[in-house]
Amino acid sequence: MSDSVDTVLSPSRSARWMKPDRIKELTLVGIITASVLVFSLLIDNYLSGRFFNRITTSVVIVAILAAAQTLVLITRNIDLSVGSIVGVAAYLTGDFLGANNWAGPLIAVLVAMLIGAVLGSFNGVLVAYGRVPAIIVTLGTLALFRTMLSLYAGGQNITADSLPDWVLDLNRVTVVSIGGLDLRLVFLIAILVFVVLQWALARLRSGRRLYAIGSNPEAAKQAGLPEQRLVFWAFVGSGALAGLAGFMFLARIGTISATAGAGLELESVAAAVVGGVSIFGGSGTMVGALLGATLIETLELSLVRVPQVSEFWRDALLGILILAGVLLDFTLHKRLGRRLTAAARTDAGGSPPTTIGARRRAGKGSSDA
Amino acid sequence: MTEVTPILTMSRVSKRFGATQALDDVSLTLYPGEIHAVVGENGAGKSTLIKIMTGIYGADSGSMVVVGEEVSPRNSAEAQLLGIAAMYQEPLIFPDLSVAENIFIGHQDRGRLVRWDAMYQDAAQILERLDLDIDPRMPAVGLTVANQQGVEIAKAISLEVRVLIMDEPTAALSAHEVDRLFQQVRSLRDSGVSVLFISHRLDEVFELADRITVLRDGRHISTRTVAEVTEESLIREMVGRDPSDFFAWSDRPRGEVVLRVESLTRRGVFEDVSFQVSEGEILGFAGLVGAGRTDVGLALFGVSPADSGSVELDGIPVELESPRDALELGIAYLSEDRRQLGLSLPQSVTSNITLATLPRYTSSIGLLNAPAERQDAGSLAEELTIRTPSLATPVSQLSGGNQQKTMLAKWLNTNPRVLILDEPTRGIDVGAKTDVHHLIDELARSGIAIIVISSDLPEVLAMSDRVLVMREGRVRGVFDRDEATQERVMTAAVGTV
Repeated sequence: MSDSVDTVLSPSRSARWMKPDRIKELTLVGIITASVLVFSLLIDNYLSGRFFNRITTSVVIVAILAAAQTLVLITRNIDLSVGSIVGVAAYLTGDFLGANNWAGPLIAVLVAMLIGAVLGSFNGVLVAYGRVPAIIVTLGTLALFRTMLSLYAGGQNITADSLPDWVLDLNRVTVVSIGGLDLRLVFLIAILVFVVLQWALARLRSGRRLYAIGSNPEAAKQAGLPEQRLVFWAFVGSGALAGLAGFMFLARIGTISATAGAGLELESVAAAVVGGVSIFGGSGTMVGALLGATLIETLELSLVRVPQVSEFWRDALLGILILAGVLLDFTLHKRLGRRLTAAARTDAGGSPPTTIGARRRAGKGSSDA
Repeated sequence: MTEVTPILTMSRVSKRFGATQALDDVSLTLYPGEIHAVVGENGAGKSTLIKIMTGIYGADSGSMVVVGEEVSPRNSAEAQLLGIAAMYQEPLIFPDLSVAENIFIGHQDRGRLVRWDAMYQDAAQILERLDLDIDPRMPAVGLTVANQQGVEIAKAISLEVRVLIMDEPTAALSAHEVDRLFQQVRSLRDSGVSVLFISHRLDEVFELADRITVLRDGRHISTRTVAEVTEESLIREMVGRDPSDFFAWSDRPRGEVVLRVESLTRRGVFEDVSFQVSEGEILGFAGLVGAGRTDVGLALFGVSPADSGSVELDGIPVELESPRDALELGIAYLSEDRRQLGLSLPQSVTSNITLATLPRYTSSIGLLNAPAERQDAGSLAEELTIRTPSLATPVSQLSGGNQQKTMLAKWLNTNPRVLILDEPTRGIDVGAKTDVHHLIDELARSGIAIIVISSDLPEVLAMSDRVLVMREGRVRGVFDRDEATQERVMTAAVGTV
């Protein structure tokens, strides 16, 4: 008992606050656990190995797209063209594999990612160097890439039998199997991608600078950060990841039409935002994006098995989740800011600001300045 | 002092913006280990000078020498590499990043990887040196303005700056916080940094500075050690243009009191403001930027209503809760920021003039009577000599002076009894200024009670029948025209002790 009194009286520094990103991630883990528990009560045989395998294989594409989106969102931009890039990369890679049967998986992945990177660099040039708002640029390229694909495809589909056998088998390759839980290769690749990206964003200098740019572009400029170059590369990265997702799309579906991947851009934004990535830039993690994608995928696949919920409501749920995610981000940020301010003020042991200070803050925009 | 090598020398620097000569042949030398204050009225050229030092503007002529080498930084990053950093009244921080990252993010020499532990340690060390109890791991979003400035000073230390420019750093701080900031500044000086300190508060300048430079109208007036000047001598040098250069005032007939304001207060913004204006009178509001003058104007226009106090119009108490209330009662307010708040730039001259009075042109079924709109807009445009290719021309294509007249026409169309003009001549050229001055005079002669808020002291003195001076949210003096000398008004505005 006396111990706890002691900690209350002299809280250690780290106990006084928690990184906003950690709070978001833990909240998501809680929500995912809670929804799995609820579904397991509603659905017979819900907690089975088969269901785990289904979720882990189907989450891969959305998760990688969420990673792509996160890279761009952090810099206070958005990439709405990822769905179209998935389509282009899937189709062209399928085309390439049909014509070059000798090519192995590694080459196929590189081709897909290169296609994505080229398309992403187009976005990047316009946003970073052309100073056109990202939402306009990528809304344009969303349509542009899709149209170019339609022209190229000319009504022809990539069919499963034109592809080498290994492509379609890829999705079922299991690396390890523990009990009924299979860890599939595609899932492990996605995890690897996330580990690398999470590390890069946390530890690479340029990773931290992406956050800085999104957090306060004006200050980033003043600090002399190479903001144009970094935003450009964020879009290239986003494109390359969308290309990777395109390859996985090809491996999963096999038959690719010119409309392949349409609508995935919205799911990628949803997963990232639900995962705590701020659309105002500067905050959010790859782990969060992965959790967001997992939550969305779990809900979608589980709700199908609840007969009382119609398809109509399943779509609405996605929308509600996005709104809830944005709202949570907003309130959390505001309340956290206030709490930290209060903490900082008592720390300083200083007097509260005088009326002059209060006036400056309250009268922002209405003062003589 | 002269045998020490200067850190930074600005020689004969000039800069022109359109019609305004912002800096005219200004020279300034900074030595290591000195705190050098720059004072001057609004528009004296202080901001332009520091923006040239930090590479935000390029000078038209003149040179800048840093430790014996001529330089011309093209942006603030290049200035930083030369050892010149600036901090402003509102610190530029990254709210989502940790305090430590805020200190170190711009550094070029820390390798590709972020070494978090080392960074936190280094940050903690610098913060401790500054006597700041801030956890370097904490996101900067929660910091008070004072602590944010502390972080900026920490950044300057970690950058090993040679020149730190501080632009009005104390404006948002409490007395206790100002004391700590001054200690930090002095310790920076003692370590050999040259601090360029800009403040409106002369008591702070005297407390902190080693040398003081006065600028006026973009020109260098004097540079002296603090022992050589007095507050009176500084004020005399800061003011000095002759008001009659602007406008030849002549007596106007004045009528009854139209607006009477009693103990108007908005908590934390302005306090106990009382005054009255009569028909045909021009009342000038003088004071420094941030004194609360605009806030009083906005309260009278109902944008941000006062908490307490009373307002009487023609002897009848009125409530001003929204601009609609104010307009119905005949109070109009011309915003200082015509681009953001006053005008709809892409729309035509006509649309802008009739914007505040649309109900008058609206028929019972909600359609607009365009010919009537054009007619009124046309006669106002003629009256105010708005120069525009046509009434359908977008306002964005007009010159600043004609935009200002368009905005004036909009409010005149509401037939106001009281007209509040906030910085009516800011950013317009000299010719247009004279036009606007004459317009204001004519409007007063037509019986409108006019309040002119202006930071241009000679202008207020030239136009006004009486001058009210505000400082830190309070009225510090009301002077009749013949008592209102520049020295007196400036003294009330800067509040020397």
